[in-house]
Amino acid sequence: MSAEGHAISQAELNRVREAIKGIEDGPRLLQVYMEICAKCGTCAEQCHLSRTDPDRCSNPAFRSDRVRRPYHIDHSMIGKLCTLAGMEKRDGLSEEALGEWLRDFYACTCCRRCAKFCPLGIDNSIITRKARSVLLSVGLIPTKLAATQNASEQYGNGEGISPSTFIDMTQFLEGELLEEHGVPIRIPVDQKADVLFVPPSGEILSFPETLMGCATFFHVAGISWTMSSEAFDAANFGFFTGDDQYMKRKNKVLHDACLKLGVKKLVIGECGHAYRVAKEVGGANFWGKIPYEVTSIFIIAADVLRRGGLKLDRDRNPEPVTYHDPCNFARSTGLTEEPRELLRACVREFREMTPNRDMNWCCGGGGGLAVLDGYEGVSKRTMSFHEFRMRRTGQMKLQQIRATGASYTAAPCANCKRQISQLMEYHKENVTVGGVLDLFDKAIVL
Amino acid sequence: MLTGRIVCQFMPYITLAVFVLGVVYRIGRWHRAGVSRIPLFPAPSSKTGKWVRIAGEILTFNNLKATDQALWMGTTLFHGALFLVLLGHARVVADLSLLREAEHSDWAGAFLGLALLFAGFFLLVRRVSLNRVRTVSSFEDYASIVLILAVVISGDLMRFSSQFDLAQSRDLFSALLLFREPAIPSAPFFTLHFFLSQVLIMYIPFSKFLHIPGVFYSKSILYQQ
Repeated sequence: MSAEGHAISQAELNRVREAIKGIEDGPRLLQVYMEICAKCGTCAEQCHLSRTDPDRCSNPAFRSDRVRRPYHIDHSMIGKLCTLAGMEKRDGLSEEALGEWLRDFYACTCCRRCAKFCPLGIDNSIITRKARSVLLSVGLIPTKLAATQNASEQYGNGEGISPSTFIDMTQFLEGELLEEHGVPIRIPVDQKADVLFVPPSGEILSFPETLMGCATFFHVAGISWTMSSEAFDAANFGFFTGDDQYMKRKNKVLHDACLKLGVKKLVIGECGHAYRVAKEVGGANFWGKIPYEVTSIFIIAADVLRRGGLKLDRDRNPEPVTYHDPCNFARSTGLTEEPRELLRACVREFREMTPNRDMNWCCGGGGGLAVLDGYEGVSKRTMSFHEFRMRRTGQMKLQQIRATGASYTAAPCANCKRQISQLMEYHKENVTVGGVLDLFDKAIVL
Repeated sequence: MLTGRIVCQFMPYITLAVFVLGVVYRIGRWHRAGVSRIPLFPAPSSKTGKWVRIAGEILTFNNLKATDQALWMGTTLFHGALFLVLLGHARVVADLSLLREAEHSDWAGAFLGLALLFAGFFLLVRRVSLNRVRTVSSFEDYASIVLILAVVISGDLMRFSSQFDLAQSRDLFSALLLFREPAIPSAPFFTLHFFLSQVLIMYIPFSKFLHIPGVFYSKSILYQQ
């Protein structure tokens, strides 16, 4: 459901007020964030959006104040007196204001770059996620994210692919792999194995080369692995929409598959937020002691690479390659070196972007923004979400990639891949966007 | 004279109560709230490493150095001078031989008082002149810096208008401590400075000045692996 055509009743506004008031009971970080901002403007300097969009609605501190203001008015002396007197508080909450919330809190990509620079340690993404969950409590969510969540509830994956279609697709990719390498490389499905491999499902449709690269890697590394026809989507949009219940249900799909197949490792494919949710948010945090380890394809691949024995021909990837650090890898799970090790072993020329690693600029599509294209029912935006991503949020990334002169950008995240490949197309840059394992697949000598 | 009595004899007890209860209430609420883990990488792997990093960031403002050199210099001067001025105020309350014998104590105090004034004005001017700061500034942000400037100006006026006899303030504080009737210091601007300072102290638990304890709470969660 969306803001336009969705009338917000007084009862719903009060529910929003209650939810904001509820921050006083924690979590602690959010509570502290309501009270300590010194309004120094540093976040606005370090946000890819506010740097390219002069509108004050794009300023992180201004946006976070949309939550802070009603919270403060409720807690201030004047606010308390108003409540006692039964008077209306001027907290700025209205149906129109919530439309602006929906627009602005989904313009934030939750990349956490502001948190790296804020002298007071304020991470605006935490306020953004809270605001999104408040919006959700009154049925406000961008239509496309809602559709993806609904598909996921029904099929276990955001694309709505059925198990039999998935098996067909893996068989098709096995055919492709045979053609490419001349040897049979299997993509096992629903088998007892040591490793359950789960990529974001969007990748299977839009970027199958990455999945093929992963299959080739497991093949040469001699790792006993499988995919699951029930759990082949590690993406978890509940993380974006602030829907904790959904996030837990989606994570359970992975958890159940791990138990069913008796694996020792759950390996998440090239997807930043999927890895973050599986490792830092879900897994043991949801289900207590778990009999499997949650790890990333990069960690096990770099481990195999370090042990030696892989024959890689770097000349098969002669074009200059750069690496985009997805926020959820670099800033939220600390995974920065492994993909670089792989790239250096697979390509002739690797070029760093500046800044990089934990200081990297967001692709401009994080936090679910990359999925949004049209107006998504969000009121009062002059341009579509697609234009907004191309002309505003993606600008810093565009400049960074241009400066490297690279002709391939490895962006190991479904969100980043979609955003950056559209960005290159929109600005007519001759840059291929793909994954890291895609290049491994080309470089490996079987 | 009555004003002096109120500000110097009765108000300090109210100030102390409001400040202590206010801070305990606010920080107590933070402690009752649950903590969710949300590490910001690269995060230090040990507790010691975490606190060393937090201390380093708070003492040097190095996050700002990479972003905004002007703000970095302004805020370092402001907070550094404020900290040293507060330290110097120990002489106002008690006869500390260490500080008294520091040869340049008077000179240093005068310098810091002016530095604080300068840095405070810089922050206010910055707030008004930079678009990205002005658009997020509310009444509270202006009120806070104006209140601090008022305290600093009254303090500087007191210092530079005439020689302040520290014996007077020490007698005042020991009398307050022992619940005796104090002699009200006669120095010009003392009452004004003492009044404004107490307003500022009472304002701390209810304002963004909570960033002083708050920064330790926020960073200790973000940097916890």
